[in-house]
Amino acid sequence: MNLERYELQSGEELEVFEFVSEGPRGRIPKIVQYFPTNYKNVYHLGFGDKNQVTGEIDDTIVSNNEDSEKVLATVIATLYAFTDKHRNAQVYATGSTDSRTRLYRMGISRYFDEALEDFEIFGELESSWELFKLERVYKGFLVKRK
Amino acid sequence: MNSTKLNFGKKPIVKINKSLDFFNDKPLFPEKLEKANNMLKKIGLPESKVFNKQ
Repeated sequence: MNLERYELQSGEELEVFEFVSEGPRGRIPKIVQYFPTNYKNVYHLGFGDKNQVTGEIDDTIVSNNEDSEKVLATVIATLYAFTDKHRNAQVYATGSTDSRTRLYRMGISRYFDEALEDFEIFGELESSWELFKLERVYKGFLVKRK
Repeated sequence: MNSTKLNFGKKPIVKINKSLDFFNDKPLFPEKLEKANNMLKKIGLPESKVFNKQ
């Protein structure tokens, strides 16, 4: 069974994506941005909710829209689209809270074997990196397409 | 038994909305971006054949 994903919209550069989460709490616009860091070919992955009234972005809010698997699959789909176009990009992601970072780790862990077919994945320790290992706690993650 | 897969191999369908390119040079998550830059300055990038291939 393939996990469902939301329909994605993006600009032509495939650096900013939008999709709409649908669940018991209604339709919640989400935004994903890949933005260059100060280091060549290293991008930061930002992800959050877009306030429908003010347009402001909030990456700390917990939507509780009972679709976290579908949202996670959609964010990973953006990673594929982005790295298809930006083949040499390295993408850094960390949660805005410890619980969100844990959610990312659980997501990587759950689909680890599949992810390794296409990406090299490093986990961020206190002052170094290591190849991602299941059941380890990391501060952030860095991935690159193989 | 069926297993759940993300179907990574399948290229995602992305509808192009040119208005989103407006944000390409505007960081929407500036605080986290700054933290990422500080982290990279502090610990650098991992050593790897894949990562060092440009």
